[in-house]
Amino acid sequence: MTIDDRSLNELIVESQDLQVDALKDIKATLPELAEIREERRGQAINLDEINLYNANRRSVLSKMGIGGGGLAARGLLGGGFGAMLAGLFATPAHADEALDIQILQTASSLEVLAVATYGAALTLDFIKSGNPVVIKFAQTTMMQHDEHKKAFQSQTKALGGKEQTAPNAKFKPIVDAAVPTLKAPLDVVNLAETLETVATQTYLMNTTQLEDTASLRVMASVMGVETQHAAVLRAVKALLMGGAPQLIKIPIGADAAKLPAAAGSVAFPEAFEPVTNAAGADTGAVK
Amino acid sequence: MTQETENPMTTEPSALDQLSASAFSRRKFLVGSGVVAGLAVVTAACGSDDDTDTATTDTTEAGGTDTTEAASGGGDDLAVAAFAAGLEVLAVGTYKAALDAAVGGKLGAVPDAGAEFVKTAMAHHEEHLAAWNKVLKGAGKPEVSTPDAKLKPTVDAEFAKVKDFGGAAKLAKTLEEIAAATYLSAIPSLQSKDAIKLAASIQAIDAKHVAILLYVLGEYPVPDVFAKTDKAAKP
Repeated sequence: MTIDDRSLNELIVESQDLQVDALKDIKATLPELAEIREERRGQAINLDEINLYNANRRSVLSKMGIGGGGLAARGLLGGGFGAMLAGLFATPAHADEALDIQILQTASSLEVLAVATYGAALTLDFIKSGNPVVIKFAQTTMMQHDEHKKAFQSQTKALGGKEQTAPNAKFKPIVDAAVPTLKAPLDVVNLAETLETVATQTYLMNTTQLEDTASLRVMASVMGVETQHAAVLRAVKALLMGGAPQLIKIPIGADAAKLPAAAGSVAFPEAFEPVTNAAGADTGAVK
Repeated sequence: MTQETENPMTTEPSALDQLSASAFSRRKFLVGSGVVAGLAVVTAACGSDDDTDTATTDTTEAGGTDTTEAASGGGDDLAVAAFAAGLEVLAVGTYKAALDAAVGGKLGAVPDAGAEFVKTAMAHHEEHLAAWNKVLKGAGKPEVSTPDAKLKPTVDAEFAKVKDFGGAAKLAKTLEEIAAATYLSAIPSLQSKDAIKLAASIQAIDAKHVAILLYVLGEYPVPDVFAKTDKAAKP
């Protein structure tokens, strides 16, 4: 197992620098959300009511040609009544807000769990003394999940909700049961891949449930990163299972020619990311 | 290899009705002259590393502006579907050209994993194209079979410069980055939940393509803490 530590570190530092802009964009949405915080308080959730309301709301918006206050913004509805009407239909119900908060809390809980799991993995002797690329990946991925957690928590607070700081209640017992059985790198990679897949598919499902646009942007953005974590872990798993751990290195250089053909496809067995492993929106909600 | 896949549009047919009904979306997507930024990325990403860094900085600024301006922008779900289909046609065509060049011995030695990737990614994009065309057809709109007219000349010009598998992989990475960023950018603007699901499910796969291409090219495979939209293409 070889690694060009300097090159890898440079790449990671460079990528972290590139995140400054992205973080600014996400943080920039928070004041905007805070302004509507007082008028959009979370309420007790009735999923049937939420679904019915949203179905009706979308239908009305569609028939009227209104999207997100677009009519009012374009001055097509004149006077105070027009603005009020457009505002009424363009603003999600309080129940929407409550569901959005639950979704963000659950996302936070998955991130808390991911951070803890990578942290636990990094304490294992066979990881600490193993492939430096795997160590770097675990460290970097843990840091990225911590940033995701902070983003979801901030969004939760911006919508008037209580931030979730506890790990996901549904998946924590599964991780707790798995950790003592981790005896080799492949075990860790399997567990991590499972968590990343759950996160990816949960956030994918969430993109169809969120009403708050800023939260939707953050969710889709984080989903795009978790799916890459899952892809890398699948590829690493294949190399470990194929008896080629020496090819787990960055940069791979000329050894790219030695990669088995399956390395070109194993990371994405589907043309469309499914949602079969998505966690329910309420599995990490603050009780 | 591509396995049997779940196409969200086939599991939830109501998408077609919703797409037909949404004459206007939230109108937060696809405004301005962002295509210039997209073309700049294509051009720069196929150059030296230094050039790529410069272009990324430029387009990040452009992307930030687009994000703000998009709040009052135009476009609807079907316009997004048609534009996405055009991007998918472009991706399929580019991978096909790469495959033909490889088979014809024009790219030199091609790693087994590289050949497998090209075939797999091309098949994925064919399925993505079919999904968007199903949406369009269901709404009574014409299917898209031609590549995005604004991006194609630039991609063709860049492809003409490709001399080996590494060059082809760099161009593929750029196209996949543009595709993933475009879907990410489009998602908040879409009205239909099924269209959102389709776009997000494709974004996830394209981002995976990027990760593996980065690894093959010797770069860290997950460089961003948050997926970005600065490379998103605009019609």
